[in-house]
Amino acid sequence: MSRLYGDPIEVWIRDGQPVQFVWRDRLYAIREVQDHWVVAREWWKTSDSDPGERRFWRVVAATGRESGTYELRFDTAGGDWLLLRAWD
Amino acid sequence: MAPFIHLHTASAYSLRYGTAFPDALAGRAAEHGMDMLALTDRDGLYGAIKHVQACHDRGIAPIVGVDLVLRDGHAVHGVDSGVHGAERGKRAGSAGHGEPPRVVVLARSDGWAALCRLVTAAHQVGERGEPYVTPELVAEHAVSTGGGPRLTVLLGPRSDVGRAVAERRDDRARALLDAWRSAVPDVVVEVTDLYGYRDANTATRMLGLARSMGVPAVLTNEVRHLHAADHQVGDVLDAARRLVPLHPRHVEHPTAHAYLKDGREMARVAVRICGGDLDLAERLLAQTRRVAERCALDPVEIVPLLDAEDPRLHLPEIGEDPVPLLRSRCEDGLNRRGLDRTADARHRLAAELAIIEKKRLSGYFITVADITELIRSMGVRCAIRGSGAGSLVNYLIGIGDVNPLEHGLLMERFLSEGRRGLPDIDIDVESARRLDCYRAILGRYGEAGVACVSMMETYRARSAIRDVGAVMGLPPHEIDVIAKAFPHVRARQIRAALSDLPELRDSGLNDRSLQTVFRLAERLDGLPRHIALHPCGVLIGNSSLRDHTPVERSMLDFPMSQFDKDDVEAAGLLKLDVLGVRMQSAMACSLREIERVDGRKIDLDAVPRDDRDTYDLIGVGRTLGCFQIESPGQRELVAKLEPRTMHDLIVDISLFRPGPVNSDMVTPYLEARHGFREPDYPHERLREPLRETHGVVVFHEQVLRVIDVMTGCGLSEAEKARRALGTPEGREAVRAWFVPLARENGFASDVVERAWRVLDAFGGFGFCKAHAAAFALPTYQSAWLKRHHAAAFFAGVLTHEPGMYPGRVILDEARQCGVDILPLDVNHSGGTWQVERTTGTGARGHAGIGRGYGLRVPFSAVKGVSDAEVGRMVAGRPYTSLADFWERARPSRPVAERIVAVGGLDALHGLRPGEPRWRPGELTRRDLIAQVGALDRASGAGTAGQLPMGFAERVAPGELPEMSEAEAVEAELEILGMDVSRHVITFHDELLDAIGVTRSRDLLRLRNGAEILVAGAKVATQTPAVRSGQRVIFTTLDDSTGPIDLTFFESVQAHTAATVFGSWLLVARGVVRRTGGRAVSLRALHCWNLLDLDRLWRDHGIDAVRAVLSETPAPPDAAGAGVGGRPIEYGNGYRLSPYSDIGPASGVREGPFLRHPEEPQRRLWHASSGSSGPAPSAR
Repeated sequence: MSRLYGDPIEVWIRDGQPVQFVWRDRLYAIREVQDHWVVAREWWKTSDSDPGERRFWRVVAATGRESGTYELRFDTAGGDWLLLRAWD
Repeated sequence: MAPFIHLHTASAYSLRYGTAFPDALAGRAAEHGMDMLALTDRDGLYGAIKHVQACHDRGIAPIVGVDLVLRDGHAVHGVDSGVHGAERGKRAGSAGHGEPPRVVVLARSDGWAALCRLVTAAHQVGERGEPYVTPELVAEHAVSTGGGPRLTVLLGPRSDVGRAVAERRDDRARALLDAWRSAVPDVVVEVTDLYGYRDANTATRMLGLARSMGVPAVLTNEVRHLHAADHQVGDVLDAARRLVPLHPRHVEHPTAHAYLKDGREMARVAVRICGGDLDLAERLLAQTRRVAERCALDPVEIVPLLDAEDPRLHLPEIGEDPVPLLRSRCEDGLNRRGLDRTADARHRLAAELAIIEKKRLSGYFITVADITELIRSMGVRCAIRGSGAGSLVNYLIGIGDVNPLEHGLLMERFLSEGRRGLPDIDIDVESARRLDCYRAILGRYGEAGVACVSMMETYRARSAIRDVGAVMGLPPHEIDVIAKAFPHVRARQIRAALSDLPELRDSGLNDRSLQTVFRLAERLDGLPRHIALHPCGVLIGNSSLRDHTPVERSMLDFPMSQFDKDDVEAAGLLKLDVLGVRMQSAMACSLREIERVDGRKIDLDAVPRDDRDTYDLIGVGRTLGCFQIESPGQRELVAKLEPRTMHDLIVDISLFRPGPVNSDMVTPYLEARHGFREPDYPHERLREPLRETHGVVVFHEQVLRVIDVMTGCGLSEAEKARRALGTPEGREAVRAWFVPLARENGFASDVVERAWRVLDAFGGFGFCKAHAAAFALPTYQSAWLKRHHAAAFFAGVLTHEPGMYPGRVILDEARQCGVDILPLDVNHSGGTWQVERTTGTGARGHAGIGRGYGLRVPFSAVKGVSDAEVGRMVAGRPYTSLADFWERARPSRPVAERIVAVGGLDALHGLRPGEPRWRPGELTRRDLIAQVGALDRASGAGTAGQLPMGFAERVAPGELPEMSEAEAVEAELEILGMDVSRHVITFHDELLDAIGVTRSRDLLRLRNGAEILVAGAKVATQTPAVRSGQRVIFTTLDDSTGPIDLTFFESVQAHTAATVFGSWLLVARGVVRRTGGRAVSLRALHCWNLLDLDRLWRDHGIDAVRAVLSETPAPPDAAGAGVGGRPIEYGNGYRLSPYSDIGPASGVREGPFLRHPEEPQRRLWHASSGSSGPAPSAR
């Protein structure tokens, strides 16, 4: 079962891919990107002419010896990362 | 590595789906270094020809395919217990949200004909506008008779196979792919990843499926945009196409990735799909290229005109060698037309035939001649128009009736060695019989060889606002008001129009909440919206026609090519323009009325063409209703020019064009014509070509002759040079060629310089004399009918509405010509306007040319009446009572009430509207209207026919008041769209006299510069192209004594535009301008809505009205003055307002969305959205 979080996180990127992130003061190293997709924002609901898109990554990441699956989200308009859910 | 090739690309010709035009897509592909590009539009090949041309221009190989809805997929037994893919896909709703599955079919290198035929078949099986294919249909077309593959089928994520994969039903996917593979030899799996949720996953598994079954796989990007940012427009189109508001569920691509990516981006996608396996990715890309290579088409095969030297045309078959046949027909023609002994004619014929035979067009001329003969044999009036009138061959074989030798018309303007492309023969027929003509042509040549030409209707301001408003969820009535507030401008001008036009600036549309709607609407600018039948083009090919063009059905069920008129020509198909001309129908109708009423049969083509009375009528500008010369500007011009011969009319028509007006030919011509100044010829040798127009260049033909005389290059070369004059670069090139050559030919420098200045000013404008000659004949004929058979003429004009003016204006003109206007009468009215003999009572009017005749209002003029009702009403005459009429003619209740309200039963029941209103014991119209209700209730109860009508319900005579005269006229305007019993302005006479309004008939007595008040009902507003680059509003009022022409310059539009466009009855203040012996117009200073003044007068008295009339408008502040917008400037300095030639907005006045409550809702005045001539770039 997955749990929903929605916590702001800090993410390191290499070649356009996330490689590690810090969540609740712990550093997670990304081992594998399982899936990646994009959802355009509902631009017609805002007065902004381009509200950007949301990019999702589903990754396998480990902190120490504990490993789990996490869903990360990047919002291009705000430039901020969230940890959306975790399977651990 | 070899470049990536996009195999799945939708252009804007995927209606309400794509956003980029083929040319832009091909350009971008070339920038990306791609050497091929496929265009696979949805549902048709609408953009295919443009794509092939664009690719050819950029040196890349074109690939063409189509993206079609798939129905009734393979029944794959044992896997899915018979549920069809389509239904399954709808329920599952993945990858397309309820959209049906689709497949892409590409033509292999030898498969163009098969693709055309597949598209035609897909349209044949589907409902109109909803083509689809089944696997069987694809299979039928996919192989040649020899068994070789002709088509390649791409099964992508939207196909039945792709959907099964997405739903994780791998066995089913495998079975479906297997079924496809056994039905069609060339099947490939198409994988796509637009970064949507699960896209990559599905693609990876489709790739796996393909590999495990040994089916090739290709990578595409389902391209529909040029830039990522266009996806918003795509979302709007998705919602508009499905008539739903914007919602994530309604958009097809939830990401912004469906754009034309470059090779590197696509390589990244390939690696992603292949799970990082670079080898596998490389193989996928290589496979994509291999499929592309076997689909590359030869552009010249599809677009023969790319080979300018020797285009392979698809000519009609006529069963024998056309060359000797045409020769012998021409020979016969020489004898029949009495030209067999004329050396000129023989010489000309030989020259024309030489070119025709060299271009292998003999068969085309024979076919066109056969068609015109076919049309005439049906008793349809038929005339040649355009440059075709310049050909002697056309005259000899009976296509046209204008002798080119007589008018100095040149063939080179129509057909010449140097001319690329095909000749255009245009035929005018009666508009009411145009479709009959199409049917006859189809009947003669068979559906397989004939098709109509189509055209794309594109988004303009109003349609774009409507669609965007709907998807943004605005209420429908608000959308309607907003859309109608805009004039007919381009969508991209919306926000500019809002700030430029005074009538919109203060309209309340500048609200911030509408900004998004306008911004998006602008981005729809010019995108194709739907396909329609071209108004005149007919393709005439041979039995292989459908190998060269896909055909679908038009709204009226005609076979219609998916190509527009330019594509058709490029594709090497011959077309004939059969144009419906309402004036031809109107004249045919007039002739029938003359024969019916007077028993005279008139052969209009045999009427002498020098009738003094007719030219007198034209010379005083009394030309309302006549062909070509009825607009305010033309009435002014004919009054100045005073035509006396056919040739004068030809000149008149040619002068009234943007070109001559622009290069100021009108004034010098008129001065020379009336002898105020000597004609001026740059050189003695130019006297001959220019004499007919007193030294002024008016016609294309004269330009050709001037160039020919001065350079000795021959007329064919001269025609080439004339065409080049249309652009600044072309003019430079012609100058560099012309000047030295003319000097070599012995012309002095100053002469050459002067001649060049004339050619330069002429630019690409001017008019083809052949065209004008073809127009002049119906112009004269219509004026002749008006002069000698006024009532019958007006009956034809009112029935077929050929001109710019609404019915009430024509009716008033008839009244002024002495024709009696006879009200609707159930016992006398017919299905169309009819003439009756009268005693010529009250009507004294202009010259009384129509005296002794009356015009009877027909049943068909009643608002809302159906053809079937009109038929029954006419057939049932005579009637004995309202009940009898109700019983036998069976009108609907509202129609019956309207007929009573406008007096249709007055004669029968002895009614008379007017005072006194209360007439005890005497029947009134209102009593009768009440009785219609009673009759309706009685028949509704199911007792009709059993009880005598009288017993149904009794309405006592005199129970209700009679209508006043004003009410009667109001009802006429509302129901018939015209004031029949009295001119509407007469109700305001008292007020108008009190404020001292000048009447139209008294205008001629005023001195130049006098400042006066005028009033009238608005007849027309036009904003034509004028020299100064301003938007000038020309308005014509009618005050029952004649027309009053007003000109509103930009300086007064800030305080007048909203009133001019928004009101119907107007009072205006203006300065008299005498423009000719019999021509007067007014420069407007201010104007008011007469109904507002009337209310003011009733409420506050005459002094309040005078106060309003005497106030000076506040000087507009600098920013808000007049009309904004940068004038469009042409190469020769000609400036044009961006809002010229655009119909005004109809709905705006006095703040947001308010319509005048008393303003009639029907079309009572003319608002031009048409053109005052060809666009400057044309021909």
